[in-house]
Amino acid sequence: MSKLLIVIPAHNEEANIVQVVKELTTNYPQYDYVVVNDGSRDKTAAICRAHGYRLIDLPVNLGLAGAFQTGLRFAAENGYDCAMQMDADGQHRPEYIEPMLEALEEGNDIVIGSRFLTVKKPKTLRMVGSYIISWSIRLTTGHAICDPTSGMRMFNRAMVEEFAQNLNYGPEPDTISYLIKNGASVKEVQVEMGERMAGQSYLTFWRSVQYMVKMSVSILLIQWFRKRDTETPYPERSL
Amino acid sequence: MFDQTLIRICLILGSFITAGYILRRVRLAKVQIEDTIFWLLFSAALLILAIFPGIAYWAANLLGFMSPINFVYVVIIFLLLAKQFFMSIKLSQLDSKVRILTEQVALNEEKVERDKLDL
Repeated sequence: MSKLLIVIPAHNEEANIVQVVKELTTNYPQYDYVVVNDGSRDKTAAICRAHGYRLIDLPVNLGLAGAFQTGLRFAAENGYDCAMQMDADGQHRPEYIEPMLEALEEGNDIVIGSRFLTVKKPKTLRMVGSYIISWSIRLTTGHAICDPTSGMRMFNRAMVEEFAQNLNYGPEPDTISYLIKNGASVKEVQVEMGERMAGQSYLTFWRSVQYMVKMSVSILLIQWFRKRDTETPYPERSL
Repeated sequence: MFDQTLIRICLILGSFITAGYILRRVRLAKVQIEDTIFWLLFSAALLILAIFPGIAYWAANLLGFMSPINFVYVVIIFLLLAKQFFMSIKLSQLDSKVRILTEQVALNEEKVERDKLDL
């Protein structure tokens, strides 16, 4: 079986982090995990230390992309075969890790835990953004990604290294569309997600609009101009 | 009539040069995508104003400007001021992050040296 690292980016998740990690360590001890505390203002880091969780504590807030990249660099440097992102708010259920891992071992580069593969995507205001992004990816790559905004994604070793070393590899739908365009194989696996257990969601209405504008411009326009360079290591260090 | 055509050509050129330059930086992986969105929307705004001068005539008339080109100036100045404002905030945040990081590095270094001294 492949050696999997579960990266749990946590920003102000003191109310949820214990339950999420406890669920993993008691029921799924075969998987390694690491909590990346993204400069939280609450007691997230202290709670992790008190419980003896494996923790990477970022001294300043980097945002999800930076926190996740830290986890992937950890995975790359410590010889993991694959890594996945798991939210610290309890929305992602660990029972779906195994089917996702199986799908990855079939030879896929990226596996997305998708809410809407066999379930119809609801036509609500909250899903407008998801529809627009799905449609943009369909238009520019020809591939159907049913749940592009799902944060539950698993990456193989090659992807882990690429994500760990490069600029503009945020764990977002535009990176997925860019990689599909460059020949990566992406598979979706049907999962169920729970509701956030406690605390505030990061996505307010205004932030959602900003996010949508960024994703649309990025997928429809910018990704055409990117050049994939897997030869030169650490291009971000030569900025 | 001639000078208006010239202005429109200048706006279109400016728009394409902005977009071309920023997309080239993306291609070389020298800029983060979130920082390019503003400039792409900015060049799109210039392009729209150049292709549809009716917008500038209509808005200038509505706001009581002497000449439509003044509306174009106002739009550009407003966008650049807004950008300047947000950049100022971002710079301030970056500044404090660098300070915290430097402090952190120095404190870690001190811890390492103290451990060595104890030996």
